[in-house]
Amino acid sequence: MALLLRTVARQGLCSSRLQFGVLYRHAVPMGTTAKEEMNKFWTKNTRLNRPVSPHVSIYKWSVPMMMSISHRGTGVALSSGISAFALAALVLPESYPYYLDLIHSMSFGPQFLAFSKFALAFPVAYHTFNGIRHLIWDLGKGFRIPEVYRSGYIVIALTVVTSIGLAAM
Amino acid sequence: MKILISSHRSLAALVHPGNSSDLGLLVRIMAALVRISSVCYRGVRPLLFRASSLIRPLAVQKKDRDCPYFISAKIHATPSNYAGSGSKAASLHWTGERILSIALLGLAPVAYYYPGPAVDYSLAAALTLHGHWGLGQIVTDYVHGDFKIKMANAGLFLLSTVTFAGLCYFNYHDVGICKAVGLLWSK
Repeated sequence: MALLLRTVARQGLCSSRLQFGVLYRHAVPMGTTAKEEMNKFWTKNTRLNRPVSPHVSIYKWSVPMMMSISHRGTGVALSSGISAFALAALVLPESYPYYLDLIHSMSFGPQFLAFSKFALAFPVAYHTFNGIRHLIWDLGKGFRIPEVYRSGYIVIALTVVTSIGLAAM
Repeated sequence: MKILISSHRSLAALVHPGNSSDLGLLVRIMAALVRISSVCYRGVRPLLFRASSLIRPLAVQKKDRDCPYFISAKIHATPSNYAGSGSKAASLHWTGERILSIALLGLAPVAYYYPGPAVDYSLAAALTLHGHWGLGQIVTDYVHGDFKIKMANAGLFLLSTVTFAGLCYFNYHDVGICKAVGLLWSK
């Protein structure tokens, strides 16, 4: 009975403190979206010419960090490559086999050819395997730190093996 | 949250003030505990706290004294609570990105075992769109300011259009993507 009285009294206390904030029960929706909030942040801070605190320049690099930016980097590189290829297809007069034979006639040597195949296969393989890792995260799995590192090392190993295998083909 | 409120209301309805039996007392304690736990809300833990507190009501008394405060926060309600915009566009875009990624993954072995114009055009479309959406995320991350964002997205759209056009042209007038990779690798 005393417990009941105490909780009822507390509830009375709660409602009187409403002016200090929103009781979680009565969730009041905000009037702005996340995008609007972000825009407000950036316009205000660029207007005031505020410097950005050092982040990438001072924080100790970790394997997951490096793999994450590499995923983005390989994505940009591959996308640029595809766009360059498409642009070349539109602009260049001759056909693809012609240019391929042209490069082949320059007789660069088998090691160069194998290396260039490796150089092409590596970003594709890395982005693909790390992409699968991202999809697994999207399922909600593998977020614990040891799991993140483990999956990361597996991706790196698979990338190297696949790239060598593809270059040898 | 609504479940919490309704459950506590139903529990409260069970409480008969005049009931002095042990069962009635237990029910009243349970109702009080539900109210205490809902006042001392701390994320997911109140759900666990509530279950365990039914077993150890004595421990609850101390907890009651320990948390005289309550959380007050502005909360982003889900779109369904919004009076205004309730767009699911961003969420659907996210899902679309994942589906496209999986589709592109599936296309790779198909391209290897069944090269041809159908796969060529599918690859052209999937690669271009995947790249377009990926670069779009990069623009969102690093470009700020309404005008700059608009300009960056316009440039990206132009790039993706030219890319798709070029790839389709290559598929139609030239050997096609699958054959091109095959030729490149045969050298």
